[in-house]
Amino acid sequence: MHAEWTKLRTTRGPAWLLAATVAAVVAVGAASVASVDVSQCPAPTECHEDTTRLSLLGARLGQATVVVLAVLAITNEHATGMIRTTLAAVPRRHRVLWAKAVVVTVAVLAAGVLGVLGALATGRAVLPGNGFTAANGYPPPSLTDGPTLRAAVGTVLYLVLVALLALGVGTVVRDTAGAVTTTLGLLYVVPLLVELVADPQWHDRLERLAPMTAGLSVQATRDLDRLPIGPWAGLGVLAAYSATALLLGAVLLETRDP
Amino acid sequence: MEATIEVRDLRKRYGATLAVDGLSFVVPPGRVTGFVGPNGSGKSTTMRALLGLDVPDSGSALIGGRPYRSLRHPLNHVGALLDAAAVHPARTARDHLLWLTHSHGLPRRRVDEVIELVGLPSAARRPAGGFSLGMRQRLGIAAALLGDPPVVVFDEPVNGLDPEGIRWIRGFLRSLAAEGRAVLVSSHLMSELEDTADHLLVIGRGRLLADIGVRELLDTASGGWITVRTSRRTEAMTLLAGEGARVAAVDRDTLTVAGLPAERVAATLAAHDVPVRELAAHRASLEEAYMELTRKSTEFTSLTGREA
Repeated sequence: MHAEWTKLRTTRGPAWLLAATVAAVVAVGAASVASVDVSQCPAPTECHEDTTRLSLLGARLGQATVVVLAVLAITNEHATGMIRTTLAAVPRRHRVLWAKAVVVTVAVLAAGVLGVLGALATGRAVLPGNGFTAANGYPPPSLTDGPTLRAAVGTVLYLVLVALLALGVGTVVRDTAGAVTTTLGLLYVVPLLVELVADPQWHDRLERLAPMTAGLSVQATRDLDRLPIGPWAGLGVLAAYSATALLLGAVLLETRDP
Repeated sequence: MEATIEVRDLRKRYGATLAVDGLSFVVPPGRVTGFVGPNGSGKSTTMRALLGLDVPDSGSALIGGRPYRSLRHPLNHVGALLDAAAVHPARTARDHLLWLTHSHGLPRRRVDEVIELVGLPSAARRPAGGFSLGMRQRLGIAAALLGDPPVVVFDEPVNGLDPEGIRWIRGFLRSLAAEGRAVLVSSHLMSELEDTADHLLVIGRGRLLADIGVRELLDTASGGWITVRTSRRTEAMTLLAGEGARVAAVDRDTLTVAGLPAERVAATLAAHDVPVRELAAHRASLEEAYMELTRKSTEFTSLTGREA
């Protein structure tokens, strides 16, 4: 574990990717909250805008750098041949994967907390100026508000679970480009394909099963009854994906010759 | 822990290629054992199996009586240099050694000790990606020695070293063996091992061709001959041919003798009072002895045009 932490710390890539994640979450959040104004709505009180969710929209972009970071944690070792040094040093190979999972979790957790706090602070600063005031029924996003707290914590966990999914896929695929494409495809492309499904019942079913749409339902703070899946249940779907990918990765890491 | 390597009936197939075919040998402590064979003869595969990287199809490879993957802190049992390129190019040599140290709970000072030992202090804080092959070899050797292991395994450590580096590693390998460690070092060139190894394992197409001391190998080689200078050349030739030697005249007073040890040549000539002005034995080089051993296997390889 200490060894994996040293590995992460001693190259510059991971730190840049974590900084980029924070920046993406905050910047996209800022752009989103700046682009809405109650004047665009029929009435200031009828915008039906989920201001918390809007502030946290940046997670959709931030997850991409998280995926790259987590995939590289394992595929970089295959690309440089270092995996042989690693597995010779730690012949109980599953321990390598668990150590990487813990280190990646801690790193993404830290970046996620910074990003989410930054995005909510930006939302609080910008939204009232655009008419999203408490008087109009839009109290500024606050962590003392139950649903907002759940959305904030959920978004951090969402990023961590995406990282673990990417680490699992990276362990299975072993190739950086292949693993990043597979994971991002699973996250971004599946929801696009779901939109093409005309049948409403199947559409909903698939939205419940797609890792990104299901997982991000944790960000919703209004109109929960209109979500295809409940906030925590949705995060659970993503967690199931991550667990499956990690377990498959662990089995293959133990049995394949590096 | 006993400082030995035991390989028993090891077999490993990659697709259609049988890389290692029933290999058995023991590497005892206290001497340098050379592992020689042409490229693709199965040396690296054997070493990878020894380090638990490749799972053999059958047979076993044990370090001190235990399979590598059952070792909790393997660097304390066996140090290995398999692939000098197996480092992250952006990480410094020092940090590379540092994470290895952390994986084994070894004290931090070991990093500086092994860096000193292999002569890398000036480069320790530079990214390993900018290292020459020779420097990477030194880094790999430093990593192998972190846990002060009783067994060391080096795959082609001489590759990429400059003459000074080659001299260094020869002395270094010998000193490791002198400290009582089991040292297994591979090479595809016998000449690289000539002054280093005490014992040789010769491998060809995944099979063991010889498990023999360096001296015995030289003695069994058929390539040796003796030059004799004498004023009574014709008489000497007749006498030695009578003893079963193959003789040939070189010039008026010089002949070469093959197939008879130098002592017998000298004794025969002395017994008949043939004056000898010079008697010089030319031993077959280790390279020649090795070529003779491997010829069969390489011939077969080139016939089928297949790299094992």
